[in-house]
Amino acid sequence: MSKTELQKELQQSHAEPLLPVEKKLIGWSLGTGIVLLVILAAVNRLYPI
Amino acid sequence: MATATNSFEQAGESRLVLNEDWLSLAIGLFIFALAIAGLSGTDFLGWVVNTSVWTSIAAGLHPFSKIYASLGGGGALIATYLALLIILSVGVSFLQADVRRFAIAFTAVFAIAYASWIAGSYAHLAAVTPAEQQKFGIKWSAGLTNEGGYVVALLAGLVIANFFPRFAEWIKEAVRPELYIKIAIVILGGFLAVTFASRLSLAGSLVFRGIAAIVEAYLIYWAVVYFIARKYFGFSREWAAPLASGISICGVSAAIATGGAIRSRPSVPVLVSSLVVIFAVVEVLILPWVAAAFLSHEPLVAGAWMGLAVKTDGAAVAAGGISEALILAQNAAEGVRYQPGWILGTTAAVKVFIDIFIGVWSFLLAYIWTNHINVTRDKARAVEIWHRFPKFIIGFVLTFLIGLYFAIGTSPETVKAVTPLIGEANVFRVIFFVLTFFSIGVLSNFRKLWAEGFGRLAAVYFVSLFGFVIWVGLLISWIFFSGVKPPLAS
Repeated sequence: MSKTELQKELQQSHAEPLLPVEKKLIGWSLGTGIVLLVILAAVNRLYPI
Repeated sequence: MATATNSFEQAGESRLVLNEDWLSLAIGLFIFALAIAGLSGTDFLGWVVNTSVWTSIAAGLHPFSKIYASLGGGGALIATYLALLIILSVGVSFLQADVRRFAIAFTAVFAIAYASWIAGSYAHLAAVTPAEQQKFGIKWSAGLTNEGGYVVALLAGLVIANFFPRFAEWIKEAVRPELYIKIAIVILGGFLAVTFASRLSLAGSLVFRGIAAIVEAYLIYWAVVYFIARKYFGFSREWAAPLASGISICGVSAAIATGGAIRSRPSVPVLVSSLVVIFAVVEVLILPWVAAAFLSHEPLVAGAWMGLAVKTDGAAVAAGGISEALILAQNAAEGVRYQPGWILGTTAAVKVFIDIFIGVWSFLLAYIWTNHINVTRDKARAVEIWHRFPKFIIGFVLTFLIGLYFAIGTSPETVKAVTPLIGEANVFRVIFFVLTFFSIGVLSNFRKLWAEGFGRLAAVYFVSLFGFVIWVGLLISWIFFSGVKPPLAS
């Protein structure tokens, strides 16, 4: 597919609903990220340089 | 650049073909090795041209080492150009590029980029303190430091891209920002080692903070940007995943690695990448000045922020360099002289830590996509982690470890001898930075992008970057780096 066709497609593309596995990926990713950041921030505060 | 392809390929029967990633590793190590070889008593790189702040251009250019003083500034400039021309021409021949076209284009690229660097060192632009103004006999200066030359190079590239597109097309063979910045980062490893050796505990703490950067980029940014792109802008998975990686992780290389991982059509990440470069330019032109205005008393927060907020390795590390120049100058004007290298080092460390996990993240996406979304026979394989691992990081780690060994594991005499040698290599690093800035500018044709109808992609990028990524990056940088100061210069 050419670049121009891709651009056309990009302008006209229709929404695909979020699949459960995507929701799971987003949820787990965010959840794990926030928990890890809180732990790292706590360690950073408890054991400063 | 991390791609879905194998890093080494055999073209035809016998010719070895490298990609830019391996090539940057080879060239960076070659320059670093030549510098270190100076310990044998022969200074192999002392002829490299160095530019000081000037009011008379004849006094501004000079060879790095006094041993080569007879060359003069002009001779050093020609020697540097010829050396880079030969090394890079040999290098791109392994990329199957048209060497003759590259050599001609590189001549133009080097000439304009280095002229920009020289212009940026003009005293009215670069002098910082009243003492410097007095030294040069001037009454005012923009106070950009000589690293303002990066911005001049970027602007020169932007002018060419937007007003002289045919010329931009003519020099495109040598417009290779990813190659130049990766060579620079490999060389930077050795320089940072010598800098960090003075405060190893602080350097060690950067490693800990690097973990926070990884968590933020991969787990927080990616998830939010992917959700925004899918839910609110209606992008398909094929577009949303490379876009999320481009905005969240490290720009061009992450978008391309993700495109390969989810088996998107090759043009998708390429189109996303062109958007990444444009926004990186906008960030480089704004964020270092914002950091200097509001974070001059928190230098490492500023450094980490550049690493987390500015996408693409080149733009991020360069933004770190500009921030360092501006913040050190501002502190120097207030009588506080921090050791150079720490702000830039923080940016580079954050960026390298994020880069390391591209392969792992791509594998995770590849596993989910090939097993749960687009179930195919072409399943994700663990070896993809290695294929997508940015190889130039190996060079960065090697030069860092070698530099660290010389800085803390050898006699004081060796340390004294090796420091200026690594300084020589660092001059090449600066030149590759300048080439990167100019190249990024040349790739940023705003009008073309607008005409190509990237409005919706740009809207996601804008909303995510300015509405979320920049501010969360600032918050995390503040949580982990506030109160941590670089050592004072001795």
